[in-house]
Amino acid sequence: MKISDRALRAMASRAEAGQNTRRGTDAPEGTRRGGRALQRPDWAPETIDVERPSVARMYDYYLGGSHNFAVDRAAAQKMVAAVPEAPLMAQANRAFLRRAVQHLTDAGIRQFLDIGSGIPTVGNVHEIAQRHAPDSRVVYVDVDPVAVAHSREILAGNDGATVVQEDLRRPERILAHPDVRSMIDFSQPVAVLVVAVLHFVADDDRPAEVLRTLRAALAPGSYLVLSQASDDGRGEAERAEAEQVYRRTDNPLWVRSRAELTAFFDGFELVEPGVVWVPQWRPESPESAEDAERAVFLGGVGRLGG
Amino acid sequence: MGESPDAASGGAFARAWAKALWGTSYLPMTQAQLEALLRRLTDLLAQTLRAEPLDLRVGHRVATELVAAHIASAEALGRTLEVIQLRLIRDLDLAADDIADRMARLMAAVATGYARALRDRTLDEQESIRRAAMTARAEAERALRASEARFRHQATHDPLTDLPNRTLFAERLAAAVDAAAGSGRRVGLCFLDLDRFKRINDSYGHQIGDRALVAAARRVSRAVEPHLVARLGGDAFVILVERSTGTGDVVAVAEAALAALAEPVLVDGHDVTITGSVGIVERRAADSSPDDLMRAAGSTLNWAKTAGGARWALYDAERDDREQARQALSAAIPTGLERGEFFLDYQPLASLHDGSLLGVEALVRWRHPQLGVLRPDTFIGLAEETGLIVPLGGWVLAEACREAVGWTAATAQPPYVSVNLAVRQVRRPGLVQEVRALLRRTGLPPDRLQLEITESTMMSGAEEPVRALRTLADLGVRIAIDDFGTGYSNLAYLRDLPVTELKVAGEFVRGLRAPEAPDERILASLVSLAHALNLTVTAEGVETGGQADRLRAIGCDAGQGWHFGRPAPAENILARVKGRAPC
Repeated sequence: MKISDRALRAMASRAEAGQNTRRGTDAPEGTRRGGRALQRPDWAPETIDVERPSVARMYDYYLGGSHNFAVDRAAAQKMVAAVPEAPLMAQANRAFLRRAVQHLTDAGIRQFLDIGSGIPTVGNVHEIAQRHAPDSRVVYVDVDPVAVAHSREILAGNDGATVVQEDLRRPERILAHPDVRSMIDFSQPVAVLVVAVLHFVADDDRPAEVLRTLRAALAPGSYLVLSQASDDGRGEAERAEAEQVYRRTDNPLWVRSRAELTAFFDGFELVEPGVVWVPQWRPESPESAEDAERAVFLGGVGRLGG
Repeated sequence: MGESPDAASGGAFARAWAKALWGTSYLPMTQAQLEALLRRLTDLLAQTLRAEPLDLRVGHRVATELVAAHIASAEALGRTLEVIQLRLIRDLDLAADDIADRMARLMAAVATGYARALRDRTLDEQESIRRAAMTARAEAERALRASEARFRHQATHDPLTDLPNRTLFAERLAAAVDAAAGSGRRVGLCFLDLDRFKRINDSYGHQIGDRALVAAARRVSRAVEPHLVARLGGDAFVILVERSTGTGDVVAVAEAALAALAEPVLVDGHDVTITGSVGIVERRAADSSPDDLMRAAGSTLNWAKTAGGARWALYDAERDDREQARQALSAAIPTGLERGEFFLDYQPLASLHDGSLLGVEALVRWRHPQLGVLRPDTFIGLAEETGLIVPLGGWVLAEACREAVGWTAATAQPPYVSVNLAVRQVRRPGLVQEVRALLRRTGLPPDRLQLEITESTMMSGAEEPVRALRTLADLGVRIAIDDFGTGYSNLAYLRDLPVTELKVAGEFVRGLRAPEAPDERILASLVSLAHALNLTVTAEGVETGGQADRLRAIGCDAGQGWHFGRPAPAENILARVKGRAPC
């Protein structure tokens, strides 16, 4: 709990570090430029500024990758100084993603929509899925243009995977994207992955509605994989204090409770063990699930019945 | 690995190794996969340590495999060296005389190989992310350029037809005029407007109207390629003909545009027929400004429209000047009225029997501050077109009544005053009240006021004006038909209307040279017809004594014209009344 508190506070203070992504990928800290980005006309592209840290590249750094720039490493190291568990949080999330995809592949899922995929470093969804089922099809979605360009390079020559640059907050655009439609057959089950990204979506951006829109496009037997930073288990006073910290920032991290996260699965049947700290989700060994709350992230997998 | 005697101990070592590596970086594999990999590498190391000679390449290979499996961090190397040093010899029972020496050399190879692989991997990843950033930046720049181009397109094109809009047209026209400065280069404009387009919108709805507009725009722009066609708004288009060699070029463009419109357009099953009108202006670019060109083309378009549409008209500078002057004059009428610039002259109407002064016709003049005194033919037409005739005519009527009252005291038989009423004045409700109030206010007896109306006033067939004139006649006001014989000369209304007098147009009088001339016969018939209807006849335009004699011989009652007196100010009339000066 103490560590969570410290992590959350650090996340909030780190919000001052600019990001070149409005909604990043999995970094446990991060900023977004609030609703301003949505006012930008569709035809006015963002400029690419690699002088600003990117949550996607910072996440790569936590995972041990070198797909990052000095500015990303500086921001990530600052974060690690405040929260030594930051790399652990990233790794726990990535491991949750791996186990979830493995589980879904075993359950017969062959289509994956990974929203907020970030820099594809190690253990990508298509690598996990296609190793077991070579006919698996994967569409990565990210708003960070550098992450998208990098994904495109990685995926060159892979007919079963592609990437599109879109924003989670515009799910109807993702669903209508021609590359998404040509890769994914929505009349068949699809796994939608919204892993370690929902905490960059403000309540004002209606995350539940975003998920409802996505759910409405899915065939029975589809899955939703969710994880996000949580303040679950903390007292009212602590929560209020944390919220005060967020309120001082431009771009708070939207930390949510277990109940809120569970509500996001509305319409889905939660797969055992439900919404848990990510290391507790179908661990490979009992030891790997120890001190699970240190991972700060809650996660779960839901199945669309019917 | 089953053949090895260290099967169990190798497994234990690999598990310990895996545990040591846990958390060093993200390892994208299951615990079992990790242990299997490390077990294989353990066996490799064990075999190498036992074999002779010591193959250091195996150390490199193990390191490379670790890094390739994403076990690639400084921590992972440290812990690997540590766990091997601490446990490998003991766990796998590798004790030998030179084992410390062999181990040191092999570990050196692992460390070297690992560092090398890690450095290569780091460099590769750095290169890859830098390339991605460059690609993303290039894409963003391309997108930015595209969006700028799109923005520019949106700002310079009409959203409905996608034709250039007024902004782009103005730019291109200004550029064409600028580029031609100092040269003899010519430029042409076709100002095109669809005829009665509102009717298409009204009868088919705006959606069909819009589609017809799009179809028309497409046809016209295709027909006149490569000339710029812009939509100025509504159903107005303009075609820019740069580097024209003469009027013929631009006329050809206008004709092509009109021909393109002529074919009916099928919109949603509706056969929509569109015609257009074009105003053409073509001149040396250096002689004109873009604004002048546009204004000239706009005026010319109006000529084509006024002429019935479905045609082009060519700019005519004289006509334009004339129209502009008329426009300016018309605009000055209200101020002129306000400032008292109008005044009246009176022309005598004399008896052909005894030469006495029966009446006078009030003729309005305008003392224009710049143009001097203007005769009514220069501004009455304008006033009639614009409706300003109503206030102007009202002023004339009131002024004439006011002045005529003054003549009463001078003579027992003061002349009546004859005032022209324009069509609009007669048709306007309230004429009766206006005249009645005027007579009351001035005290002028009704029989000393004569209202002159033209035949056309009566041609509309409306009942209201007839009723008004009848009421005025019943009051005692005289009603004269002006310019009789030049219009339809409809006899029916003469029977029905309360007319007291016919004024026969001067044309007939001018023809009075010899007895038995056709004009004289016409006049004679008119006079006898009028007398049969109890009307008096006044001949206008009497200029000579001879004409007066002939008219008298025919039986005409009165004459008006230079022979009897030119229009003059009221004082002169008064003097004449007093002095009984002969006409």
